[in-house]
Amino acid sequence: MQPPALPCPDGCQGEPLIRLRTVTKKYRTSAGEFTALSDIDLDVYPGEYLGIYGKSGAGKTTLINMLTGVDHTSSGEVWMDNISIHRLDESQLALWRGRNLGIIYQSFYLMPTLSLLHNVVLPMDICGLYRRGESEERALELLRMVELEDHAHKLPSAISGGQQQRVAIARALANDPPIIVADEPTGRLDSVTAETIFQIFNHLIQEGKTILMVTHDHSLLERVSRTLRLVDGQIADPVLAN
Amino acid sequence: MLADNPSSQQKLHLLPPDRCRDEALIEMRDIVKTYKTAEAEFTALKGVTACFFKGEFVSIVGKSGSGKSTLANMLTGIDHPTSGSVRVADAYIHKMSENEMSRWRGKNLGIVFQFFQLMPTLTLLENVMLPMALCSNCGAVEREKRSMELLDLVGLANLADKLPAAVSGGQQQSAAIARALSNDPPILIADEPTGNLDSRSADDVFDIFTSLVEGGKTILMVTHDPSLAQRTHRTLLLSDGELINPWVAQALPDLSHSQMLWLTHRMKVQTLPESITLPAPALFLVTGGNLEIHNNNSDNGAGKMTLRPGNASSGMLPFLSGNSQSDWHVNTDSPSEILTLDDADFHKWLENDPSLSQVLAKNILLPGTILVDLPAQGHALTEEKPREGEG
Repeated sequence: MQPPALPCPDGCQGEPLIRLRTVTKKYRTSAGEFTALSDIDLDVYPGEYLGIYGKSGAGKTTLINMLTGVDHTSSGEVWMDNISIHRLDESQLALWRGRNLGIIYQSFYLMPTLSLLHNVVLPMDICGLYRRGESEERALELLRMVELEDHAHKLPSAISGGQQQRVAIARALANDPPIIVADEPTGRLDSVTAETIFQIFNHLIQEGKTILMVTHDHSLLERVSRTLRLVDGQIADPVLAN
Repeated sequence: MLADNPSSQQKLHLLPPDRCRDEALIEMRDIVKTYKTAEAEFTALKGVTACFFKGEFVSIVGKSGSGKSTLANMLTGIDHPTSGSVRVADAYIHKMSENEMSRWRGKNLGIVFQFFQLMPTLTLLENVMLPMALCSNCGAVEREKRSMELLDLVGLANLADKLPAAVSGGQQQSAAIARALSNDPPILIADEPTGNLDSRSADDVFDIFTSLVEGGKTILMVTHDPSLAQRTHRTLLLSDGELINPWVAQALPDLSHSQMLWLTHRMKVQTLPESITLPAPALFLVTGGNLEIHNNNSDNGAGKMTLRPGNASSGMLPFLSGNSQSDWHVNTDSPSEILTLDDADFHKWLENDPSLSQVLAKNILLPGTILVDLPAQGHALTEEKPREGEG
C-alpha cells in the first residue's frame, strides 16, 4: 500500500503521482560513509512542473536517480502511481521506466550511428507499444513537434547541440510517458537554444505531462510551478517545498 | 604490427585510376567540400582522390582543420561533397537522398565516434542490442545471443550486465564498437576513436580493430595519434584539405606538412629504364626499383650507395651543406620510378627558406651517410621495419 499524501502544496489537486518517503542514500567511499540523500519526503502531483536546484553535491542527480531507478535507495520508499519502484528488479524496472518515464540528459545520449528518426523509434520498438509502421509515423510526428522533421534521416553528429537535445526530447516522449525527468537539459546549450527547449517543456505541461527538472539556471526556475532546493542531501525549507 | 611491407602498401593509392575503379571497395574521386558562411567561403577538401581496398586498415591523419574528419564525413553521409563522387562497392553514395543513405548506412557501415554515447540507463548488453531492435529479421533471443557474441569479441562478456557508469572509458568505447558491429557491416569508420582515452585503453581499442581487420573488415580510422597511425596498413596524410603524397611523407618526415604539400604539388614522376646513368636530380625520391647513387670523383667505392623505395637523395644538397664532393650520378640496375623536383624549383625553395637544407640533410641519403632505417620523429608517419641484418 502506498503511503498517504503529505500536506498538500498550494494549488495541488487530486492525488500525488509520485511519493518519496524517508528516502536515504548512502555511499561507501574509501574515506568512509557518505550520505548523498537524507530522509527525503516529497509528493509530486500530476501536471506539476518541478524545478530541483542546489549546489554541486547537494544530491540533485542522486534524487533523480532514485526516481528513475538507475540507482537504489539505502532506505525509504519510492512510489509512482501506486507502484513501489524501490521493490522492482532490474528487468521490471527497465520495462516500467520505458513506459512511464521520459528521461532527458545533459549530454543527450543519442545513438551516434542511428538517424534521428531511428533514435526516436527505438524506445517504441523496445517497449512494443506500437507496431513498426506506426512507430515510424509517430517518430516523425514527434520530430515535427520539435521542428526537426526535415532532418529525420541525418545522423546526430550532422546537427547542432540544441537540435540534438530536441531529438532527445522527442525520444523521451516516444512511448507517451506521463512523467518527464530532465537532468540539466540545457546545461550544454547557449541561452537562445535553451529557450527553445523551455518552450517545448511549457507545451508539454499544457498537454498534461508532469516534469521534474534539475537545473542550475535561476532564470529557468522562475518558469516552473514549484521549486525544490536541496542542501547537503536534504530538502531546504520542507514546509515551503510542500 | 600489421604492415609487413609499408613500401609496397604505400603504392596502393598511387595506383592507376582503372585499378581504383575496378578493384577498390571505396573510391573517392575529386572530392571538393566548400562551406559557405555569411562572411566567406571555406574549402575543407580541395579535390581529394583516394581509394581503399577490402581488408585494409587505413589511418587518416593531419592537423586540426586539415580536413580529415570532413573526409570521413563524406563516407558516413554526415556531410555531402560539393563536387566529386564517392563509390562504396556498387553504391554511389554521393547521389543518395538522406533517407536512402540512412538505410544503406545501417547495413553497410559501422561508425565509431570519439564520444561513446552509451545510454546510461541501459546495461552494456542492452546498449549493444539497441540497434538490432530496428532490424526486423531478428527476434529477442537472437538479438541477445548476437550481442553477447559481440561483447565477447571486444572482451566484455563478463561485464555485459554492468551499466556504462560502472566500467572504464576504454570499456565503454569497446562496447560502442560492439554496438557499431551489431548489424555486421563490412566497413568500419572510426573518427578519433581513442581521442578520449588514455594510451593503455587506446591500445586495447586498437587491438580490437586489428582483430576485426584480420577477420576481413575494412577499417578507416581518423586519428591524431601518430603511434597508432604507424600500426595501420597505410596512412593518408592531409594538409589544408589536400592529400600529401605518401612517398614524400615517408622519405622526408622532418619537413612540415605544408612543405610536404608544396613538394606534392611540384614533384614529377619519372620512369627510368634498366641500366641507365644520368646526373642526379636536385631532389628525388625512389618509388620503385633500386638505384645506385655515386660520385665520379670518388674512385674507392666509398662514394656509392644503393637507394630503395622510400629513400630520398639529392644531387645538389652536398654543395649546399658544405660537402666538397661534386658530380653525382644515379644509375639503375632495374627499371625504376622516381619523383623529382626540378633544379630551378629546388633552388627557389631553398632561397625562400635557408633552414630547409638542414632539415633535408637529416632525411636524404648520400654515400658517406650511414644507412639506417628512418626513425619515427617529427612528422614521420610511416616507419620502415628494420631490414634483416640491420638495425
